[in-house]
Amino acid sequence: MEKRVKLIASVFEKWLQPENAELKAAIEQTVVEGLFSFEDIKHAILALKETVNETTLLNWVNQSGLKKELPSQNRILCLHAGNIPLVGFQDALSVVISGATYHGKLSKKAPYILPTFLRLLQEEGLLPNGNSSTDLKDFNDLQADAVLFAGSENSAEEVGAVLKENHCVKAGAPQLIRTAHYSIAIINDNKPATFRQLTEAVFRYGGQGCRSAAVVFAPFSLNSEKCTFTDYVESFWLTNPQHSKPQPSLYYRFAYNKGAGYEQSWLDDFLIEESPLKPSDKFVLHWIEGDVNVAADYIRKHGHGLQSVYAVNPEKYQKDMPHSVEPLSTAQKPPVNWKPDGMDTLSWLSESLGL
Amino acid sequence: MNNWNDYLFDESISFEDKAVEVFRHQFINNTIYNRFFSAFGLNESIVPDADQVPLLPIRAFKELSVKTGEFTPERIFKSSGTGDMDQSVHYIAEEAIYKCSVLKGFERVYPDNPVILAHLPGYLDNPHSSLIRMVQILIENDTTGLSRFLPLKEPLDLSDFEQVKSKNRRVILFGAAFGLMDLAEKSPVALPADTIILETGGMKTHRREIPKKELYTILADSFSVPVKNIHSEYGMAEMLSQAYSTGNARFKAPPWMQITIREAGHPLRICEPGTDGKIGIIDLANVHSCAFILTDDRGVMDEYGYFEVLGRWNTNDLRGCNFLMD
Repeated sequence: MEKRVKLIASVFEKWLQPENAELKAAIEQTVVEGLFSFEDIKHAILALKETVNETTLLNWVNQSGLKKELPSQNRILCLHAGNIPLVGFQDALSVVISGATYHGKLSKKAPYILPTFLRLLQEEGLLPNGNSSTDLKDFNDLQADAVLFAGSENSAEEVGAVLKENHCVKAGAPQLIRTAHYSIAIINDNKPATFRQLTEAVFRYGGQGCRSAAVVFAPFSLNSEKCTFTDYVESFWLTNPQHSKPQPSLYYRFAYNKGAGYEQSWLDDFLIEESPLKPSDKFVLHWIEGDVNVAADYIRKHGHGLQSVYAVNPEKYQKDMPHSVEPLSTAQKPPVNWKPDGMDTLSWLSESLGL
Repeated sequence: MNNWNDYLFDESISFEDKAVEVFRHQFINNTIYNRFFSAFGLNESIVPDADQVPLLPIRAFKELSVKTGEFTPERIFKSSGTGDMDQSVHYIAEEAIYKCSVLKGFERVYPDNPVILAHLPGYLDNPHSSLIRMVQILIENDTTGLSRFLPLKEPLDLSDFEQVKSKNRRVILFGAAFGLMDLAEKSPVALPADTIILETGGMKTHRREIPKKELYTILADSFSVPVKNIHSEYGMAEMLSQAYSTGNARFKAPPWMQITIREAGHPLRICEPGTDGKIGIIDLANVHSCAFILTDDRGVMDEYGYFEVLGRWNTNDLRGCNFLMD
């Protein structure tokens, strides 16, 4: 395992070398086609650079319980979908580390950058040719041994049927389906560092990722900190202009909140509102005045679909929370071994493939 | 306006004129709708056409007390749902308007005074159900005395249908889709060929969600009636009028109700015929609550003004990652 991890870590390092013209071109193409902003791509790559290395990868393997490489005959189909520039990176990495063979249906929103990493892995013999494509048809008759994907619970059955019909996966192959779609932040002060971290947690990637905080619990009302907080948001947008824009229905929601008398703050491309609802719409931050107990109650009631809970000092809140708490500063910079939907992908691969 | 009941159902007055009158009344006397409407930069003097007027999202009935003016309700309708926040509450100021809407709406579609056999739970157990109240009104209106609620746990009794036939009337078997499906599976029976089966409610049975047309086929086969005799009713606690489909699951609203299909991403815009969106409703019978409602139902309209209900607009798909959307 160690040898394999070392090789992967060296490939990763090579991938991020400044002279990697292929990566540069992929970033440019992504920006030119308007898929993601340069600032968000840069952030995503820097976040990986800070969190992926030989040591963190080895720690991940040790923590996962994966004792030895899985046979490469095991084909894993990853269906990448999402709203961040390097969507699927962790899944691809985990499959390659495990020793199984990665096959990735790339997100149409992020078709360029990840393949530049996959190509380097391929050069080192860690991946077969033709391992990735944006077209699901290219995986017909793959007969994969396991499949990983993200979607709503409603869509899981439909996706499963499509995969089965086209023999993309073997009958009865284990599926790891991620359905979480929002995260929560708990703050207990209005210090600049807290607001800066909160802003990053909420507004990075246009608030589109499942790790993006869509609900904040604060000891003060939105109204009392509206002006201060929006200053931080505007400052964030000066250096990280919001790339994806909301539909006019967001203004409709603003009008509804007016009618309902809900406190809110209209930011043109985003809406902050004090409402008791579970988050569903994009570009909306729910602000709830309340302490850790209020947050815990909310999670018990609306925890379905919850990805992560963040706090500036997670250790302070953990004992009262029905969910693990992560540092707020890592919301958009997760460790390489973070567990989407609470499941370590490496552990899942190891367990599902019977080792 | 002193007598809304006469005014709203007066067919000599155009829908547009009545809609403007109801709008003005609600703009002045309904704070929620006033603030909502005004947020679009509109005011009482700039009333958009009825098909472009801002429609209040239906969740208002779950979160707020939606009333036009102050009144003590004569009745309260509540939607099904478990928690407080899941249940819509509709305060009814004048039940006479509801009765009138129910009876006139029904008579327009079924002018031959059919007998109602309702395969639904009774009123005593569901005092806040608008559906049960509606059926009760229809039953009370039947002068033969043959209309009634059927016992739910028993199979259909053919003698009930024969008795109706002997009076030269036909039966409307009225029930919720899932209840009728249960009945079809457990105790199928050949009903008189002129029986109308009128289903209402969602397409979600206890077991799975089935398309309307599949539901129609199962019901027609199980009860030996032509598929054209399987009809549907579209109603909800939040609106006091109903639309009916008398075939092919295509609904038509009564003259005091207007349906539009609104773009989900831009609800001030109307979808082209054939394009699905959220079902928008102007129900003038809601004169004392809010007549201008944007539902969370997915629908599509054809070029003749008939609409289909395609299910719920699924908000789970709006946020986060979804392979099907990629």
